[in-house]
Amino acid sequence: MEEQEKTMTENEGNDAVDAGNKKDHGVLYIGMDLGTSRTSVSASNGVRETVYSAVGYPKDVVSRKLLKKSVLFGKEAFEKRMSVKLYKPLEKGVIKSGADADEESKANMKAARDLIGEAIRLAKPRSDELVYCVIGAPAEASMKNREAIIEAAREHVDSVMLCSEPFAVAYGLDWLEDVLVCDIGAGTTDLCRMHGTMPEETDQVMFEVAGDAVDAELAKQIEATCPGAQFTVQMVKEIKERYGFVGEAPERVTVELPVDGKPTAFDLTDQLQKACSVLIEPILEGIKQLVATFDPEFQQRLKNRVLLAGGGSMVKGLDSAVEKAMHERLGGGKVIRIEEPIYGGSNGALKIAHDMPEEFWEQLK
Amino acid sequence: MTGFKETLKDALRQMAFRTSIDKLKKKGVHKVNVLGLDRIIALVEAAVHKSLQSRLAGIERDAVAESTKAEFVRLLRSNEDLQRQKSEVERARERAEQEIDRMRRELNEKQQALKLKLEQNAVELANRYDGENAEIARKVSAVVQSLASDDDGSAGTVEERLMALIMDVISGEREKAEAAQRALHDREVVNLQRRIRKLNDTLSTTEQRLQQVSAQKDVDTGISSIYREVQGLDESDAQAGKKKELMATIFQANLKLQKRSRGA
Repeated sequence: MEEQEKTMTENEGNDAVDAGNKKDHGVLYIGMDLGTSRTSVSASNGVRETVYSAVGYPKDVVSRKLLKKSVLFGKEAFEKRMSVKLYKPLEKGVIKSGADADEESKANMKAARDLIGEAIRLAKPRSDELVYCVIGAPAEASMKNREAIIEAAREHVDSVMLCSEPFAVAYGLDWLEDVLVCDIGAGTTDLCRMHGTMPEETDQVMFEVAGDAVDAELAKQIEATCPGAQFTVQMVKEIKERYGFVGEAPERVTVELPVDGKPTAFDLTDQLQKACSVLIEPILEGIKQLVATFDPEFQQRLKNRVLLAGGGSMVKGLDSAVEKAMHERLGGGKVIRIEEPIYGGSNGALKIAHDMPEEFWEQLK
Repeated sequence: MTGFKETLKDALRQMAFRTSIDKLKKKGVHKVNVLGLDRIIALVEAAVHKSLQSRLAGIERDAVAESTKAEFVRLLRSNEDLQRQKSEVERARERAEQEIDRMRRELNEKQQALKLKLEQNAVELANRYDGENAEIARKVSAVVQSLASDDDGSAGTVEERLMALIMDVISGEREKAEAAQRALHDREVVNLQRRIRKLNDTLSTTEQRLQQVSAQKDVDTGISSIYREVQGLDESDAQAGKKKELMATIFQANLKLQKRSRGA
């Protein structure tokens, strides 16, 4: 059962750290999960926020005047996409950038920098506090990407570190040994086995069947079965996030989509079930690969400690479906969905930030 | 004590935010535990008193309790001050935006006026020269006609010579007049151009100021961290040794990355 407590705290905004201020009030730790679809932050002041990883810049002087902002983030950027140049700076978990620094790559880098700045602002740091931040980045992120993330964050915090996303999830739950984390993001699904030390390359598997693949499949299904229905990727994503499920349908899913401008009700139960099921097979393959190459003595223990995390794990019934498939194909296993899929990565990163010794932070300033 | 409770209640109300069930669901929250304001206040009080009771003697306890309340009220006041500062910054931003709009309009008007003036001057000058030329030709022709009536046969030659003479004189005069007029006109244009330059400078300064104010727009108190000092691993943690190693590995990887990044 998912039972979560939300601490309702004040809703005031705050900007980046003012370099001129004396930082003698305290220390704010921030954990950040920089994802393709969403960026989440958890902070030691009780703030937990998430924003769609989208950045919009007004197209011209008129739209800038109208929007009264030079940059928009998240849902607001999507909503005003007609008036802004919209960037989704992350793709498959990393910042979009070509080998040569063309205009589009530069624009995506800038958008990523602005997004990181916004995420830190969402944590509402005080200008008189030291801000130490740990960012969960995909294990596959290139060196250039990592450098870009560090550089962007350094503009807003006093000291920053990167760590692998699935590792952060496991650390946050204090599961450091014989655990297999399956982090289902939008662009990629990352599997990582933990065995008490820092995971190495051979402990990690990444594939590109994740939230976006479900969206694409759902769009294909709707197109094929709902004649005349008009929709956008964002609409499909919202339908999936609200109703997505695998296995037995908890209830029929009826959604209104416009047909020639008229809202029309469509039963999308089967389409959703088919689309969300695309996640199961690759996850199972990943689990199989990591279990099969693990110390045979501990394979059973590893199979019994599979953690589902990330936005994709919110698909209803996914834990049971993967567990069922493991019973059939791997002779058993236990899958646990973490309590807060959206904040699992950022909560873990926050815990790492908290546990990091002072001298390490100092050396990275 | 009642006053303090009310202040605490107000503070909690101010710090809380409203949200909808749909929004919470989107954030992955499906159930919430609801805790009333009175209950929170009672819990805070109970916790503080219990902690004080167990650690301090009577008089000392009262003094600590009083100073804690005073600090709480001081923090609330400092919060109000920062709110006031935020409003001022926002007002400054609005003023700067209005100023920029006004300047943009003025700059546009000036540029239009200058363009119009330059066009008008060119047309006026051409028209005036055409008129003057015709008038001179008419007068010369009249003079020549009268000369010809006195002396037959050489009228054409005389007219040509006379015309050349007059045009020579006139073009000299015209050049002088034009030079004088140009000087006058140039002064006017230079003045307008200077004004435009000045407006442009002011515009960019104001825009810069606006950017600064915009950057400060959301600056306010922020929310205090629960930590006053850098933390680090809890030595009593069952996995402290393992975690220490993991922290060192993460740090080493980051140190390498940031050294490389700074070296580049």
